[in-house]
Amino acid sequence: MAAIEVEGLCKVFRTRIKEEGLKASFRALARPAYKEVKAVDNISFTVEQGEILAFIGPNGAGKSTTIKMLTGILHPTSGKVSVLGMGPATQRRKLSYRIGTVFGQKSQLWFHLPPIDSFALLGAIYDMDKAALKKRIDELTERFEIGDLLKTPVRKLSLGQRIRCEVAASLLHSPDILFLDEPTIGLDVVVKHRIRELILQMNREQGTTIFLTSHDTSDMEQLCRRAIVIDQGRIILDVPVKKLKYDYMNRKIIAVRFTSEYKLSELKGITPEKSGRMGARLSVDTRVCSIEEAMRWLIAQGGVADITVEDPPMEDIIASIFEGGGRTLNGGR
Amino acid sequence: MHQHVVRAMNVFRLIGLYFKVNLASALEYRASFLLQAFGMALNNGSFVFFWYIAFSQIGGRIGGYDFNDVMFIWALCSSAFGASHILFANMNSITRIIVSGELDTFLLQPKDVLISLLCSKTSLTAWGDFLYGFILMALTHGGDVPAWSMFLLGIVIGGLLMTAISVTAHTLTFYLGDSSLIGGLALEFVISFCIYPEGIYRGLVRVLMLSVIPASFIVHIPLKLARHFSPGLLLLLFAASAAYCGFAYVFFYRGLKRYESGNLIIARM
Repeated sequence: MAAIEVEGLCKVFRTRIKEEGLKASFRALARPAYKEVKAVDNISFTVEQGEILAFIGPNGAGKSTTIKMLTGILHPTSGKVSVLGMGPATQRRKLSYRIGTVFGQKSQLWFHLPPIDSFALLGAIYDMDKAALKKRIDELTERFEIGDLLKTPVRKLSLGQRIRCEVAASLLHSPDILFLDEPTIGLDVVVKHRIRELILQMNREQGTTIFLTSHDTSDMEQLCRRAIVIDQGRIILDVPVKKLKYDYMNRKIIAVRFTSEYKLSELKGITPEKSGRMGARLSVDTRVCSIEEAMRWLIAQGGVADITVEDPPMEDIIASIFEGGGRTLNGGR
Repeated sequence: MHQHVVRAMNVFRLIGLYFKVNLASALEYRASFLLQAFGMALNNGSFVFFWYIAFSQIGGRIGGYDFNDVMFIWALCSSAFGASHILFANMNSITRIIVSGELDTFLLQPKDVLISLLCSKTSLTAWGDFLYGFILMALTHGGDVPAWSMFLLGIVIGGLLMTAISVTAHTLTFYLGDSSLIGGLALEFVISFCIYPEGIYRGLVRVLMLSVIPASFIVHIPLKLARHFSPGLLLLLFAASAAYCGFAYVFFYRGLKRYESGNLIIARM
């Protein structure tokens, strides 16, 4: 059964435009000019109950606008949206009992208060009775390992600790769908991993549908089976993550620093992107050369001081999707 | 009817919940809380001195009011302002909340957006304003029951009217863009009409004070009722307050349909 159904969804924002300079400011005062920006342009997709979907794209692609229309924050310009059989724009309050949200950039916890106080207020906002709320807090405290944090004011928590409390807060009312908008933004690798584990656990144990937006490709790789790639408001790809990884995410970047001047031998699948006197950035085609192989080769060069492995930025992946004809791959959706 | 009662009870419950959380948040900084509250009460106290000198120099009445009448409108204005800002301090931040996209948090919750938004912050100095009115009333009106009754009722009505004025002005942001300046000035403008005797205003200004600028409904009519009670005038006061609050509420929700959420990094203070 579908948890989310979207058909021909569009969102157009009207933005004021102004030429450069003071004169233009006065002109705009008398005769303001506007342009229309299509933030979301005729998108259609379905998310099944219990599915974890990655909704990815570069900054400004329309990810957040879409999530805001799915949760009832924004009214669509046109198109149909159904979330758990409800229209988010018209049944926002009813729907909010059944969905949870984590916006990495927006906190629902009171900054000066310990999370336990925010949890109590949120429980009341969601009309939970005291016994049920206490039971749920105990359950989430254990799962998210936040027992020591519950009584510390949020302002004194680290970002990772705060996000764990944010996710727990969004799950207090046991939502059927969890919308996560950039949940791992700004987190270090270890904390990101922990948050992802917790999300997966929620999905496995309670069948929670997860709708994840991110421009961090590793979020998608580790959490999702299916990915929708959006760019400039349009869906350019709707495929299983495995296929996306094989077709478009077949490159890693290795930044290496040496203790002295170096000379690299050649290895198939590795192309230097940038070379300096004491270090280099190498592009690794993982279809030809595995990361393990590349590491062994690098160590064999001798005098390695530091190695960092990175994913290429989302913008590069989008570019490669376009080069590979991504627009036609999704069958015109 | 039963449904309306349940809805009203839920609203009061929500206000109460936010009040408790806000107070707990304010008490995280106890010293600052006490300093700001008493500082504001002292600041207000200086105006009593000014009016005392004015009355002793001129003698008799100013604009039809004696010293105690002026103290009544000052006390009422101060406590109504205090009450509204203790419970609904976010009325001053509506524009910022709209512009920054912070409204998202309230739209995602199953409660009334405007009430949640207004209640989710308290003002420390407002406690000083609130208490100051009571001290002034105790000093100038002692055990005058009609005056105290209208003072207490006036706090509720005046507080709601002040909130409605702020909400209406800030809601313009949905229609015209950043209206923080208008939002900030609107309430100050109305208050400046509340703290002088009604008799000094004439003609058109008097009409405005009973319409666009509801200053008379905040202080002058409650004073009239305290001195000479009239059921008709009381009904008018209720009706006018309901109309103002109703207008602000509908105006906000109409505007909300035009909301274009932003993406700034937000923490709830």
